Amino acid sequence: MLKNLRISFFLAYKSITRGRKSISIALVVIMIMIFILLGFVSSILLGVTDAMNRQMIENMYANIVIEPGEDEDYIVKAPLLQRKINNIPGVIGSAAHYIVPATFTYDENKDGKDVKTALWTVDSIKPEEEIRVTDIHQHMVAGEYLEESDRQEIILGREISGGYGAQLPIKSLGGVKVGDEITLTFNNGVQRDYGVKGIFSASFPLVDIQAFITEREMESVLGVHNRASEILVKIEQTGQEGRYIEELRRIGLVKEKIHPWTDYIGMLSSVIDSLGKVRLMIAGFCLVVAALVIYVIIFIDITHKRKQIGILKALGLGKGIIINSYILQALFYAILGIGLGLAAIHFLLIPYFASHPLVFPLGFVSLVMTKNLLIFNSLVLFVVALIAGFIPSWQTARENILKAIWGR
Amino acid sequence: MIKVENLKRIYPSKVPVEALKGITFEVEKGEILGIMGRSGAGKSTLLHQLGLLDNPTSGKIIIDDVDVLKLSDSGKKQFRLERLGYIFQEYTLIPELTALENVYLLSWANSKNRKDYKKAAIECLERVELGHRLHHLPHELSGGEQQRVGIARALVNNPKVLFADEPCATLDSESAEAILKLLTELNKELGQTVVMITHEPEDKRYVERIIYLKDGLIEKEERTVL
Repeated sequence: MLKNLRISFFLAYKSITRGRKSISIALVVIMIMIFILLGFVSSILLGVTDAMNRQMIENMYANIVIEPGEDEDYIVKAPLLQRKINNIPGVIGSAAHYIVPATFTYDENKDGKDVKTALWTVDSIKPEEEIRVTDIHQHMVAGEYLEESDRQEIILGREISGGYGAQLPIKSLGGVKVGDEITLTFNNGVQRDYGVKGIFSASFPLVDIQAFITEREMESVLGVHNRASEILVKIEQTGQEGRYIEELRRIGLVKEKIHPWTDYIGMLSSVIDSLGKVRLMIAGFCLVVAALVIYVIIFIDITHKRKQIGILKALGLGKGIIINSYILQALFYAILGIGLGLAAIHFLLIPYFASHPLVFPLGFVSLVMTKNLLIFNSLVLFVVALIAGFIPSWQTARENILKAIWGR
Repeated sequence: MIKVENLKRIYPSKVPVEALKGITFEVEKGEILGIMGRSGAGKSTLLHQLGLLDNPTSGKIIIDDVDVLKLSDSGKKQFRLERLGYIFQEYTLIPELTALENVYLLSWANSKNRKDYKKAAIECLERVELGHRLHHLPHELSGGEQQRVGIARALVNNPKVLFADEPCATLDSESAEAILKLLTELNKELGQTVVMITHEPEDKRYVERIIYLKDGLIEKEERTVL
């Protein structure tokens, strides 16, 4: 058994090292291309999903959202709760927000003509704690982020401002710039003027339709104190939200509604699901094409060697030796293709797309190549090569000896 | 050594082709038997049945006291490897293997001792005067040299019977004579039974007995003087 395997290995080795180089090169190139294609399409689609998820976590909801309990307007004693939350090991920080609907009005020429009005919500933040929880401060495209002491300042998302390359200008204020003044009429009837301190854009419309003022300013508008419409909680390990929600319940958040960020995906979940299905379909097609291409090339190669196979059989070599030698060759080409494909992905594609990310409506998308994806693709290609090497060699090895030798 | 009884081979088709119509003959141990006949007489078909490369329609073949047609496929494979040697008409070496590798592939497959198989292959190649061409690939050898490698390959497992299917068909007359001379020398030296198809009348001088085939039957037998 071991001897037969050694003979198969010997035949495979000699065929690879002394056989036709054009077939070897073609097989390796095809394996590389298939491996890259398998990984590339998946990683782009994973990148899109990942970009959406990151936008949700980094710029909208953090990992966990705490909302007031049933029939409550606000979470009470928010600062006290936040101190408890921040003391939980693994919590990076928490941020309390008031969320209030308001009518935004912009009179560009201050003449009462061509006044732009839109209804959005405005959130309050404590800038210093907010930067531990969300990344809005990193996405300022004009002006500056809020400071704790700001009262009459507001920062707007690009889609509200309508300028700076906004993609939904119809619903916007039509081109508000940093330094302009806008008027907010809150749902409690309070009306105040704010100077636009900064414009932010995370290149994701759902993020860019937000507007922020400071918490101190919002509390003066609402006439409340130490409360919150929501508290966002950022944790170290995304994916562990369930564990932290249990912890939050344990420290006394019993009445409050607590949601992981995934509960807010909403319509995006169908996009993510569809992308997952597309990814699987493309991967499936790639594999079928890969299997057929490898099969055809090995089949052509084996067809040229039919006579040799017949002679080996005529001389008394077993079918197993012959089949195994071709399987070993196919696996060698697969391993080489996988290795070179991995090198191309790591040293060419990932660095390239890291410095030249693709621009999607949901932000910049780079390749997301997970270890599991690479291992899965490698195993799949390995198995495909195994099958594509086995079938033609088995077909030829079981052929009648004389038919194989004389082709009749 | 070889006993053939009423051997028939009919190739199935719309009009079945009777290539062998019931052949009976024996070959003595150590004998060199020539098979002659016109094209289509059934020479190659007969050798293929004897060499266990094909399955006859009916009949019996006893080689070295074994009823070989009763063997399973793997039994036939093992029998070919251990007790039969086969020299083909055309050059049939594996192009990616050197002369030595082509020969020791078979001794390796048949060996129980890992070290012996190369030694046996080198000895066989030296016996066919190719000791100086061990590491040459087939395309680096002449036609005659390639056929001698084929003979060495057929001999390497020290078979009881050597089958040769027009071993000189593709060679020039000088090389052909050298090959036939070599086969007779090896027969004398090693005592193997040889069954050889030959085409040329002058080849008679290298065989002890000739069976003439015609239309799938033995037409006549002739003894020669070696």
